[in-house]
Amino acid sequence: MHYAKVILGVLLGIVVFAFLDYALPSKNTVRITNTYNRLTSVTASNAMFYASEDTGTVENAAGQRDVRFIESVRPNGKVFVYRNEDTGWIWPPYFKYDSANLHAEATNLRSGRSDPQWVSVTAYGWRIPWLTSYPNAISIDTLASADQRPRNWGAMVICAVLLIFLALIWRMWAQFRQRTIDPAIKSVDDGWDRTTDRFSTETAEARGRMSGWWNTWKGKPRK
Amino acid sequence: MIALFRLIVLVLLLEAMFYLLLRIYIRSLRRERLEQVWAERHPEMVGNHAARAEFVRKAMVGFDKSLKSRLLWLVFILPTLAIMGIVYWVNWQ
Repeated sequence: MHYAKVILGVLLGIVVFAFLDYALPSKNTVRITNTYNRLTSVTASNAMFYASEDTGTVENAAGQRDVRFIESVRPNGKVFVYRNEDTGWIWPPYFKYDSANLHAEATNLRSGRSDPQWVSVTAYGWRIPWLTSYPNAISIDTLASADQRPRNWGAMVICAVLLIFLALIWRMWAQFRQRTIDPAIKSVDDGWDRTTDRFSTETAEARGRMSGWWNTWKGKPRK
Repeated sequence: MIALFRLIVLVLLLEAMFYLLLRIYIRSLRRERLEQVWAERHPEMVGNHAARAEFVRKAMVGFDKSLKSRLLWLVFILPTLAIMGIVYWVNWQ
C-alpha cells in the first residue's frame, strides 16, 4: 500500500508538471526565417493540441484547417516551427485573437543569416513531430543580440498565484475539517454511545465507532 | 460571441462559488477567534455553552459590514481584471 501511494504521488507530480509545462508561456530566442499558411489536418489524435473548433479558424469538409506557421532558427542552429492560431475564449486562457497581426509582425521581422534580427517568441505548447503538434506563438519581442534571454515573468507570476491558491485551499479544508467534520463525527459518536450504553454494558467497549471509521480514512488503525 | 458569453457565465459562476466558500471560511475563522476571546474572559464557562453561543451570535451580527467582509468582493473584481489584463497584454502589447 505504501508503494502504491508513492507511485501514485509520483505520477500525479509528473502529470501536474507536464500540464504546467504545456500550458504556461515559455520564451525562446530565435530568428524568424519564414511565415506561411498551410492546410493542416486536425485529427482525433492531435485535436487537443490545436485550438477548439469555434475560434474562427476555418475548417473544410475533410477536417483540414488553414493554419498559420512561423519557421525560425535558434542561435545554436536548430530549427523551430511555431503555429499561430487564435485560442478563443475558454482554453487555454490566453484570449488571443490577433493571429493576423502577429503574423504580419513575424513576416516583418524575417531575417537572413548574414544580417540576423533576433527575437524572443513567447509560446505555449509542445512540438511533437509524430503527432504534428506545434507550440502556439503568443507574442514576439525584438532583441539586440542572440545571447539575450528575457525573464519569463508571466509563467513566474502564474506559478506564484497557483501556489498561494493551493495554500489557501489547504487552509480552508483544514478549517472545515476542524470546525465542521470533526464536531459532527463526535456528536454522532456520543449519540451512538449513549444509545448502546443504555442497552448493555458490554457494548461500552465498542465506543467511538464513527471516529474509528473516519480514522481508517486517515490511515490510522481502528482501535 | 457565444464563446464570449460562455466565458463570462463560467467565470461568474466560479467567482460566485469562491465567494461563498471564502465567506464561510472567514466567518469560521472569526467564530474561532471569538470563542478564544470567550475562553479568556470566562475560563469557568468553556466548551459548548449557551452563553458562549449567544456571545458569538451577537458578535457576528455586524460582520457583513466589516472591512474584511467587504474586501471579499475582490473575488469578483481581481480575476476579471486579470482576464482583461491578459486580453490587453496578448492582443495590444
